[in-house]
Amino acid sequence: MSNSYLRFWGVRGSYAAPHKSHLNVGGNTSCVEIRSDDTLLVCDGGTGIISLGEQLMHDEELSEMMVLFTHYHWDHICGLPFFQPAFSPDWKIKFFGPGESSGDIEKRLSDQMKAPYFPVETETWMAKIDYLEPDVNGLSHGPIKISYHNVHHPGLTYGYRFQVGGKSVVYVSDNEVHFLKTSIAKRIHEFEQDEHELLERMVSEQRNSEVSAIEGVDILIHDAQYTPHDYDSKRGWGHSCYVDTVNLAIDAGVKCLYLYHHDPTYDDDQVAAIHQDSLQIIRERGSDMECHIGCEGLKVDL
Amino acid sequence: MQTSKPTIVLVDDSIAMRAFFEQVAEEADLDFHAYESAEESLRFLNTRQPNLLFLNIIMPNKDGFTFLKELRAHELHFDTPTVMISSKDYAQDRTEAKELGVLEFVAKPISKKAIRSLIDKYVGTGNADV
Repeated sequence: MSNSYLRFWGVRGSYAAPHKSHLNVGGNTSCVEIRSDDTLLVCDGGTGIISLGEQLMHDEELSEMMVLFTHYHWDHICGLPFFQPAFSPDWKIKFFGPGESSGDIEKRLSDQMKAPYFPVETETWMAKIDYLEPDVNGLSHGPIKISYHNVHHPGLTYGYRFQVGGKSVVYVSDNEVHFLKTSIAKRIHEFEQDEHELLERMVSEQRNSEVSAIEGVDILIHDAQYTPHDYDSKRGWGHSCYVDTVNLAIDAGVKCLYLYHHDPTYDDDQVAAIHQDSLQIIRERGSDMECHIGCEGLKVDL
Repeated sequence: MQTSKPTIVLVDDSIAMRAFFEQVAEEADLDFHAYESAEESLRFLNTRQPNLLFLNIIMPNKDGFTFLKELRAHELHFDTPTVMISSKDYAQDRTEAKELGVLEFVAKPISKKAIRSLIDKYVGTGNADV
């Protein structure tokens, strides 16, 4: 039987929040490790990847990994310049993310290390680096099967689905669910009565699309950045209100949801309150879905 | 067969969005072609340049941005007039669309009246006042 697990190394959205009041949840930005025996997959390179890299330098069993990026906003790539395995000749690293080609992916990752923004460029990386070509049929890394889909966030952004250790896992760090539905509600006055049926069909199409991407998965790690109060003023920033995330996950028959990409202004108590309200929603809807806070250091056996 | 009608192409996986356009096309005198994916639209776009291309962003398989970059490298489409339509309404997407020479970025939902206005604005026969 395989030894498969995932571990959260960074759970914050937008920017790191290394404050004492935040550290039960964690202050580092997006990074999740997925392991299946000696196969290592990393989702995103936020500040969480720095600590992961430090640990990997002491792991004598591993010398290869794949790192996937959902997109190239700072909070998902800013740990990469400090990722020690990239500077070590003992490692082989495959990178993949949104882009037309492997060259496109390389450019987007390496640009942040150019002067005057960083003292050394990716040419100083001593690891064997491969940038992977896009493939709509998906990727594989050892026994892990990987597919990706577009999500609702500024710029081209991917959500990833993995089949690992007999479990299905979906990682959607940044995604604003229900956006079209609320756009229609706000602008319904622009439409004639005979157009309303088609608008309802558009809402239904988007819902079906959001559900199908995560339907029935064992584990969903999903953007749940805002409270309803904060979402009111931050609609259109590309992130979800946790209430919408929880309801979507229930509708999709997800077995276990990890709330993720926590707002950096929320301290431990505020995130705990989000969790309690999420559990209340699940109870009220009569669902048996598990729901947890994605916390830094949390290891989940697969 | 060549036609004197303005040729409009829509690439959008949304059945409802295609229905909005089809209703406009029925009322106006247009040579209208709708496709549900980038790949499918190449049956037309590989050999013909429309007068106006409407292109969605988030679609299964190939997204609208990646597709438009490929089209811009195609000898027929380096200057094809294009309107980006999307449920996304973010500044970053508007900037990327502008860099690809898009005429306009229109956030969904889009009414039939707005579709007529866009066609009338860029092609001239959308019967905007119908």
